[in-house]
Amino acid sequence: MQPQVNIPFSNTETIPGMTITQMMGVVTGSTVRAKNVFKDIGAGLKNMVGGELKAYTELLQESRNEALYRMLVDAQARGANAVVNVRFATSSVAGGAAELLAYGTAVVVQ
Amino acid sequence: MERLSSSNEVIRLVVLYVVLSLLVPLLPWLVSGIGTAVYQPKKKQELLQREQAFAKTSDVLSTLSKPLSGKEVKEYQVLMTNVVMSPSWIQILVGGILSLFGGEINVFTKVVDWSRREAQQRLREQAAAGGYDEVINVRMETTTLSKIRGAKDKTTGIEVLAYGTGIKY
Repeated sequence: MQPQVNIPFSNTETIPGMTITQMMGVVTGSTVRAKNVFKDIGAGLKNMVGGELKAYTELLQESRNEALYRMLVDAQARGANAVVNVRFATSSVAGGAAELLAYGTAVVVQ
Repeated sequence: MERLSSSNEVIRLVVLYVVLSLLVPLLPWLVSGIGTAVYQPKKKQELLQREQAFAKTSDVLSTLSKPLSGKEVKEYQVLMTNVVMSPSWIQILVGGILSLFGGEINVFTKVVDWSRREAQQRLREQAAAGGYDEVINVRMETTTLSKIRGAKDKTTGIEVLAYGTGIKY
């Protein structure tokens, strides 16, 4: 489990109940993960019948949390105390790997 | 009499051999067919029941960036759910054949629609578990998980991510 960064972040344009005083720029956090060969055996079998591939759901969930954490670390390094308008993007890179990206606007709120 | 029974045995063995040698390569496809015809409808039925349980009250998800009621937000948290779904072998095969002709590929539409519904339903459930009144600014994202080119592993799937800000009044 990664250490927690105590920075509030939101999907919306403002942090409820606070006003934005300063903008610190766009912060990003990303991670590229490849599929695990051992988990893949189960997923490959499940692929035959279709439906949810739970191993991958969990893998991507974990990786996305990692990307989010990196974004928050970036925001903290810039001296921001909140991140607004957080968005997620995913793209598949060659070789069965996927890149998970989290980005947002780092701001100072009061 | 003895020769007759032994020739019967030989015929039986030959038939068994032919059936087995046909069956073994077809077995995964058979499993795939059962999965498509039985397993997937069962899971979809379960999802429908979960959706219906939540449909009694109005939907908590909204794509607006502010709560429509205009109430003051006391607590908020970014909620995020994802699901990876894959079409079955049979569906991939049928979809591949259909894509030669163009037009709507119904088998894939169904799978994508199913996974999006599942992701949304999980977001609703997560919001309910956390006691949030509404989830605003919901965004959805779809990605394909590619197979490794040239490798034996042919696992493919699509990932649907649904996220939004859960709020408490």
